Amino acid sequence: MRQYSLKQYMLLLGAIIITMIFLFPIYWMITTSIKPMSDIFTSPPMIIPGTIQFDAYINNLIKDQSLLPYIRNSFVIALGTSLFTLVLALPSAYAMARFRLPYANAFLLILLVTQMIPGIMMAMPLYVMFSNFGLVNSYTALIVGNTTTALPFAIVIMRPFFLSIPKGLEEAAVIDGCNTFTAFTRIILPLTKPIILTVLTFSFLFAWGDLIFALTLATDENVRPLTMGITRFIGQYGTQWDNLMAVATIAAAPIIIIFLVFQKHIVSGITAGSEK
Amino acid sequence: MQGQFRHTFSRYMFFLPALIFVLIFMIYPIVYNIIVSFQDLTLMNLKTGGQFIGLDNYTNVLGTATFSVALKNTVIYTVSCIFFQIVIGYLLAVFLNQDFPFRNFFRSIMLLAWMTPLVITGSLFTWLFDVDYGVINYILTSLHIISEPVNWLGQQSTALTAIIITNIWIGIPFNMILILAAMQSLPKDVYEAATVDGSNKLQTFWHITLPLLRPQLLVIIVLGIIYTFKVFDLILIMTGGGPVNATTVLPFYGYQLAFVNFNFGESGVVATVILCILLIIASIYLYMMKKEEVQ
Repeated sequence: MRQYSLKQYMLLLGAIIITMIFLFPIYWMITTSIKPMSDIFTSPPMIIPGTIQFDAYINNLIKDQSLLPYIRNSFVIALGTSLFTLVLALPSAYAMARFRLPYANAFLLILLVTQMIPGIMMAMPLYVMFSNFGLVNSYTALIVGNTTTALPFAIVIMRPFFLSIPKGLEEAAVIDGCNTFTAFTRIILPLTKPIILTVLTFSFLFAWGDLIFALTLATDENVRPLTMGITRFIGQYGTQWDNLMAVATIAAAPIIIIFLVFQKHIVSGITAGSEK
Repeated sequence: MQGQFRHTFSRYMFFLPALIFVLIFMIYPIVYNIIVSFQDLTLMNLKTGGQFIGLDNYTNVLGTATFSVALKNTVIYTVSCIFFQIVIGYLLAVFLNQDFPFRNFFRSIMLLAWMTPLVITGSLFTWLFDVDYGVINYILTSLHIISEPVNWLGQQSTALTAIIITNIWIGIPFNMILILAAMQSLPKDVYEAATVDGSNKLQTFWHITLPLLRPQLLVIIVLGIIYTFKVFDLILIMTGGGPVNATTVLPFYGYQLAFVNFNFGESGVVATVILCILLIIASIYLYMMKKEEVQ
């Protein structure tokens, strides 16, 4: 055990207070969802819940099961997006880092520029394109839409990672009888686990939180994800904050769990994404 | 010869899937936005394609009051969000750069605010800003900052401020992490020298930290502009652009034109304007980075 001074414990106390103030909205969302209606509309607001009840959760998960298809759709779309993004990004980031391809830098610049375009501006052309192919209201449309957000980010954070792996590794593998492809799958892939997890986590989070493509590329409730489900509940519940906050907490739960499990990958992903 | 070809070919095979995806689903839509901005494409002639109508869409859109309000709101929103996110993010980064127990935990736990889907944050803050039972009105009235509850999202004068506050909350941890990473790359010996020379904290910040952080801060500001500029979800959830366009920003206006009015041509105009603005920002950034490298 390391010894800390009194000053450092005071700093810890400061950090706890700052974090509690900063994350108060999240706390408020969860406590609102477990309060009875009469405790929600009080003045002054009840900071520490008096009675705890899970009625809102029972209402929205068991009694009324209309939320469940939205949750399923969100999982399909988010998993689909993260796998599709990985399949596209992994080999191309590797190629950009390793082979002297002409125009690779131009491609990188194009990715950086496309990353800047607001998603909602991509949605209109994609909507027109998909409606001509009859793909509006399909998982495919939503996965492709979300991949346009996730792919540039994935390639931009993966390329520096491949640059940091010594090139001698594959050369040795080629001497031992591997070709370009097997050198990649047998030698490089096993080394890339951390960055693969980062990319999967981020693309999952992007797609889970997406509202833009869910709103524009899917008009049918059958394929719409949870984010659209929430907007439906906003209309339906109005100011029934206990129900609304319960739905919000359910939708945030996977994010919080993923965050707690993959914390390290998320922090490293953010910092890597800001490097050129 | 054939072996050489196969070698090159297999290399391009790594690259090809992503390239095809980017061309079809990312480059083409951007180009399509520009083309469509010169056509009269609506829901009616979606299948057959629109007619070329010159600059009509541009004169229609750029002349409206909504467009100038949206442009003004976008600038106010972007500038104030980035300013406060970076200042508060910087202060937090300074605090969390000190050595104390569990500091890594505190560094990352705040990111929850940034990662929560915007739909959730939007409805959560709508509740916090509620006029009768919202916590924000309660705190502000008990601190005597305001004398009576404010209808934050329901009136033109405060709606944009409420959305800006929400987005500042979301962006603080993101900026904090980036600034923290930049600070950790600063050389330590310069600070020791400054302390020996008797500089106070403000002087050290102004003459050492800020100049050293400049290149990274530039990247963070540009990233911030790009991410803030995209604002859409919060506005849709919290105000729907209202009251009376008080919170309409350019991307939201483009959405309304395309998916409420189904006037794809006019929405193409807004998309093209946004593209031009972003390209200008990107060129300024590249120019400044080049100047930085020369120094």
